[in-house]
Amino acid sequence: MGADRPGRSIRVSRGDGCWRGQFLAMASPCEVLCEIDTADEARRLTELVAAEAWRIEDKFSRYLPANIINRINEANGKPVEVDPETSQLIDFSTTLHEISAGRFDITSGVLRRVWHFDGSDNIPTKTAVRKVMEQVGWGRVTWDSPLLHMPPGMEIDLGGIGKEYAVDRVATMLREATTASCLVNFGGDLVAVRKPCLRNAWKVGVEAVHASNTNAEKLLNLQVGALATSGDARRFLIRDGVRYSHILDPKTGWPVPDAPRSITVAADTCTQAGMFSTLAMLEGARAEAFLDVQEVRYWCYRGNDPGGRKIGVVT
Amino acid sequence: MSNKDCNRSIAAALTAATCTLLGTSAVEPVQAQEEPGWDFNTALLYYGEDNDRVQDLSLNILSRRVFVDDRYLSLGLTVDALTGATPNGALPQSVPQTFTQPSGRRTYTTTPGEFPIDDTFRDSRVAVTAAWEQPLGRLFAINIGASASSEFDYTHLGLNAKISRDFNKRNTTVSAGLAFAQDELDPVGGAVMGLTQMPVAVDDDDDGDGDGRNRGPAEDKDVLDVVFGVTQVVSRNLLMQFNYSYSDSSGYLNDPYKILSVVDGTSGDPVPIAQVPGVDGPSHLYLFEHRPDSREKHSLYTQGKYYMDGKVLDLSYRYMTDDWEIDSHTVDLRLRWPLGSRSYLEPHLRFYTQTAAEFYRMSLIDGDPLPEYASADYRLGDFDAMTAGLKYGWKTSGGNDMSVRLELYQQSGNVSPDQLIGNQVGRDNYPDLNAVIFQFGYQFGK
Repeated sequence: MGADRPGRSIRVSRGDGCWRGQFLAMASPCEVLCEIDTADEARRLTELVAAEAWRIEDKFSRYLPANIINRINEANGKPVEVDPETSQLIDFSTTLHEISAGRFDITSGVLRRVWHFDGSDNIPTKTAVRKVMEQVGWGRVTWDSPLLHMPPGMEIDLGGIGKEYAVDRVATMLREATTASCLVNFGGDLVAVRKPCLRNAWKVGVEAVHASNTNAEKLLNLQVGALATSGDARRFLIRDGVRYSHILDPKTGWPVPDAPRSITVAADTCTQAGMFSTLAMLEGARAEAFLDVQEVRYWCYRGNDPGGRKIGVVT
Repeated sequence: MSNKDCNRSIAAALTAATCTLLGTSAVEPVQAQEEPGWDFNTALLYYGEDNDRVQDLSLNILSRRVFVDDRYLSLGLTVDALTGATPNGALPQSVPQTFTQPSGRRTYTTTPGEFPIDDTFRDSRVAVTAAWEQPLGRLFAINIGASASSEFDYTHLGLNAKISRDFNKRNTTVSAGLAFAQDELDPVGGAVMGLTQMPVAVDDDDDGDGDGRNRGPAEDKDVLDVVFGVTQVVSRNLLMQFNYSYSDSSGYLNDPYKILSVVDGTSGDPVPIAQVPGVDGPSHLYLFEHRPDSREKHSLYTQGKYYMDGKVLDLSYRYMTDDWEIDSHTVDLRLRWPLGSRSYLEPHLRFYTQTAAEFYRMSLIDGDPLPEYASADYRLGDFDAMTAGLKYGWKTSGGNDMSVRLELYQQSGNVSPDQLIGNQVGRDNYPDLNAVIFQFGYQFGK
């Protein structure tokens, strides 16, 4: 089904001591590396991984028509009954909303109507932000699983957890489908399934891309578990020397001040890693202090010059 | 759940919610670390006391290499160049005083009214450390290390080990440590025997050990340290640490360069000694200090680190008591104040107070029976000290950390009036100390 869409194809190639399968999903380059011997096996596993990634994209992308997110966002004030998987993702989002004291909010996507992070100085007016904030707030939504009742004009967006969820789902499938060690990388969110045998660890490059081109790369060794990264320093606005990060606080409608450029967190699952890095971003200046207390391993990047951080698998 | 709830409930709630979402509970714990590489932490420190007393220029390099599976190797090197002088323990006088140098071959004379200081002090010191740290299973970690240092008259060799265990979802860490050091003192001119008289200067041979009458060969000192500690994450903002430590030193604990004035029981002035023509020697009667050959210390330490909106408040208190009857209290306060995201200011205040050792005295009285132990070393007296400083740190464009720190140290003694005899009353009997500390630090990777 999903594989029928244009641009949906997989490519399998021989890597160093592994096979690499690549495809595009959720607006990101995705890949799976497996310590296996044959191209056929690589193709089988990549197809499995890609099918699940495309299934999740089709079901939850807010950019695609006729899926559950679309039905919820177009309900115009009427309650919508959701399926068990959507219900679980909404439950999860509700928990995140609670533990972040409202700073993680799946209804905050509408803020994009006024905030366009294109590197310009196009800062919205206070009135415009206040107006769109009338449509933000999980507290305004009645969620009584499986019924979701949302005021008209509000929207939900599961983009904040979709990719991490997909990575973990795929990891669970790979654990059953093969005994080999595999590394799943969906646009910088990664899981290593089983410790690799042919190498000490999967090497993951976390590269600070400075405008001045003086790249300070950190190489991480991932044996097992997940890495997720929040932040994209190429998305920002600058006006009067003030840099506005693209991390928006759903409680104010304005960018979180002093947010790091990017945070990479290591955790047992990609979902946990992704949520730790997202919650830390929302803490702004105290992101590192927040993560220190969590006692998770993280790599925080606060560069001064406009630039970004690129996450890529080296081997 | 309110914002006031602990961060650790965030981690627990997130784990529970993830398990429910993914329907998997038993995934392997994450193992991720930076590619093995060296991190260097370097510092250049200047310490200077006023009135031409001790000056120390110290270079410190600590390097750490991370290996896979959270194993670490740390190597440290410190090089010190010391010059200047320290008070030798004798009381200031209204007349010039002449002392024999520690080498026993020459004398030096001090100005009336000033604290007698031995300005022949000059030394360089090299110290190295090595430590290995690794996890043992999922909850334990061990750290073993060795240290050695060498200076002109002192060598040190030490071994240490520490084991720690995490409890309570890693919110509590309990640790126990043991350290043993064996030091050897080989003072200029030999290790003096306590409460013997400062000899005359003799320069008739080239072996540099003076007349040798009251001097022994090199002496040993053994130090055993035991530490028990608990670190506790109290809330999302507060981290606490508690330590108890025990230290036992035994062997030669004298400072071989420190002396006491022997004074007249009525005037309080030092007792002059008759000068033999053609012989260079001390102008007055001085005895070398003598301390007990063992010392047991107990200390309690607590530290709290409080995070508030990017600022970090670090407050600690230490209480120490020993069987020399020295009790001390230390309060240390630092506040790290971010200036934007790339630099910070850190003011620092430290207060210290101690009581005197039971055998600390200003002087010995001529004709009185000698006490078993005696020392006039100002570091064993009753004194208060304060340090005030400011540190400024910033990130370089290459992502490394630099810092500069300036601190002022002030130490002033309290001499109880009943210790003073005759003319000593009204004189300045404790050598107060002012020092300045300047440090430049640079941290970089690989």
